[in-house]
Amino acid sequence: MKDIKLPLNPEELEEYLDERMGESIDDLEIEEIKKGIKQRAMKLIWLTVEREDFRDLVKELAKLHQPHLSVASGSDMGDFIELIYHFAVNYGYPGEEVSVNVKVHLPKDDPTISTITDIVPGAITTEREKQEFLGVTVEDIPDSRRLWLDEVFPEDKYPWRWDDKGMEEQSRYVHDEDEAATPPTKKNPRGGDD
Amino acid sequence: MIEMSEEDTTYQVPIGPIHPALKEPFMINFKLDGETIVDADPHPGMNHRGIEFMGMHRNPLKVIPLSERICGICSIVHQHMYTTAVEHAAGIEPTNRARYIRTIMCELERVHSHVLWAGVAAHEIGFDTHLHFTWKIREKVMDLLEYISGNRVNYSMWTVGGVRRDIPESMHPKIEETLTYYEELYQKLEDIFLGDPSIRLRTKNIGILTKKEALELCGVGPTVRASGVKKDVRIDQPYAAYGDLDLDYVIPSRYGYENTGDVFSKTLVRLKEVVQSIGLIRQCVDQMPDEDIDSEPKKAVLLNKLKKAEGEGIGRIEAPRGEAIHYARLKEGVEELDCWKIRASTYNNLTTYAPMFMGEQIADIPIIAACIDPCIGCMDRAEIVDVSTGKSKSYSHDELHKLSVEKTKKLLEGSL
Repeated sequence: MKDIKLPLNPEELEEYLDERMGESIDDLEIEEIKKGIKQRAMKLIWLTVEREDFRDLVKELAKLHQPHLSVASGSDMGDFIELIYHFAVNYGYPGEEVSVNVKVHLPKDDPTISTITDIVPGAITTEREKQEFLGVTVEDIPDSRRLWLDEVFPEDKYPWRWDDKGMEEQSRYVHDEDEAATPPTKKNPRGGDD
Repeated sequence: MIEMSEEDTTYQVPIGPIHPALKEPFMINFKLDGETIVDADPHPGMNHRGIEFMGMHRNPLKVIPLSERICGICSIVHQHMYTTAVEHAAGIEPTNRARYIRTIMCELERVHSHVLWAGVAAHEIGFDTHLHFTWKIREKVMDLLEYISGNRVNYSMWTVGGVRRDIPESMHPKIEETLTYYEELYQKLEDIFLGDPSIRLRTKNIGILTKKEALELCGVGPTVRASGVKKDVRIDQPYAAYGDLDLDYVIPSRYGYENTGDVFSKTLVRLKEVVQSIGLIRQCVDQMPDEDIDSEPKKAVLLNKLKKAEGEGIGRIEAPRGEAIHYARLKEGVEELDCWKIRASTYNNLTTYAPMFMGEQIADIPIIAACIDPCIGCMDRAEIVDVSTGKSKSYSHDELHKLSVEKTKKLLEGSL
C-alpha cells in the first residue's frame, strides 16, 4: 500500500480496483460532468459487484482512507433488488473527490447482504433503513431494530417494493373507505399486469 | 442499543418525540448514571411522511414543489439536489447563469440557517436576549430572499434545466446592502458567541467529537469540520458554480483555534461560514454570465423529454448542516420517477450523537442536541425511570430548559 498516494483520479482508481478485485467487478463506468465557466469536472464511478465480494471491495476502499458513505439507495427492479452504496473517496482534496457508486444485486428469494458496519460504522443508519423499507436482511448487523417505521406497521410489508410485498393498495385508498372496498383499477406503471 | 437489567442502577431518560416549535419530531433515549450520560440512542421516524414513496407516484416536475417541502429551512437544498439528480439522469444541462443564481440562493440560505442556529444555541443555554438579537438580524436575509424569489420560506426558484426567476442587475444594490449589513454586525456576533466568558463556559469542552469518530461515523458539515475533518462538497466535488469560485475549508485551525470538535468549535465554524458565504455571494454577483436562466422554458417539451429519458443521477450538495444527497432514476416510457432516494444531513449526523453525549450531564443535553443543528431539537416530554425503585419522573421541555439555564447561572456564580 506504500506506493499509493491520494488523491487518485478515476482512471487510477479503476486500475486500483481492477488489480485487487479483478473478475468480481462488472460494468465499471467512469463519468465526468463538466460544470460552470471553468468547466471543472465532477467525477463519478459506477460499478456492479457480486454480493459475495462486496465486503472485500469496501475493505479495499478502506485501505485508501476511511471511505465516506453518503447513503445506500435501493429499489425493487422486478426480478431482483438493487442496492447502490454511494461512497466518496478523496475528500479533503479540492476538486478531486470521486463518487464511487457500488451496485449490488440481491435475488428476491434470498435478499441478504453482509454488514459493513465493522469497516464503516456510520453505515448503521442506512442498513437499518434498507431492512425495513426493502425487506433486505443485513447479516451480522449490530442493531436490527426498526428505525423510521412505527411498531404498528405490518411486518411483511415494505414501502419500496413493487411486488405483492409492496404498498399499492394501502397507499391509494386509505383516505376513502368506499373506494377501499373496490379493487384497484389503475395500472401499475412499473409493469404490473395489463 | 440500551439494555437494562434489575441490578442496573442507571436511569433511562427518553427525550422527545414532539415539540410544536420543531419541524421534525424526534426522540433520544438516554441512559444515565446519576447526572452523567452513559449512552444515547436516537429514535427518529416520528415524522416519516413517505416523501420518497409519494415522489415515485408523480411526474418529475410535480416532484419539485414536493422536494422543497421536505424541510422548512433547507428548502433550496432539496430542490437543488432533486433537480440536479434529474438533470444528471436525463442529460440536461442548466445554463451557467442559472448555476450562478443557484449558488447565490444556496449561500443566502446558509447565512439564514447559521444565524438562526446561533439563536437556538443561545436559547438552549439561557441567553434569550441573544436569541432575539440573532433572529432579528435573520429577518434581513429573509427579506432579501423574498425580494429575489417572491417567497419567504419555500422559494420555488428551481426547475429542471435552470431557475424560474432571474437576478437582474437592478437587484444587485439590495443584495450588496444586505451583505454589508451582516458584515457590520458580524463582529458583534463573534464577540457574543466566541468572546463572552459565560458562553465559553457552557460550550468549551462539551459535546466533543474526535476526528477519528467523525470520519468513521461518516459525519458531515460543520459538525465534523469542527473536529478538523476536511469535508465540504462545495470544494471536494464542486456543483453549481462553486468550481469557478475561490473558497477554502472552514476548520478552526485556520483561525488559530484548536480542532477540538466541541460545541465551541462548531459555533466558530458556523460563524466563519457566514463570512465565507458573504464573500461567495459577492464573487457570484461579479462574475455572473449574461445568458438565459432556463435551458428549456417550454415545460410540456421538457416533460416529454423526461418521459423519454432513461438513466440515473445523483445530486450532492453541501447544505448548511452538511453533505446531503439525492438519487433519482428515470425509466423510458414511464412518466413517474422510477426510484428516488433522499438523504439529508441529519441522517448521517445521527450516529455522532452517541460519542458526543457520552460522559456529559443532563443539563448539557439541550445544547449538545442542538449542536449538530438537527432538523429536530424537541424536548417536549422527557421521562426519567429509576429502574431500581420503579419510580418515574417526567421532565417537560420547560423543566429541562430550566436545568440548563440554572447550570449557566451556577457556573457564573462559581458554585459549580
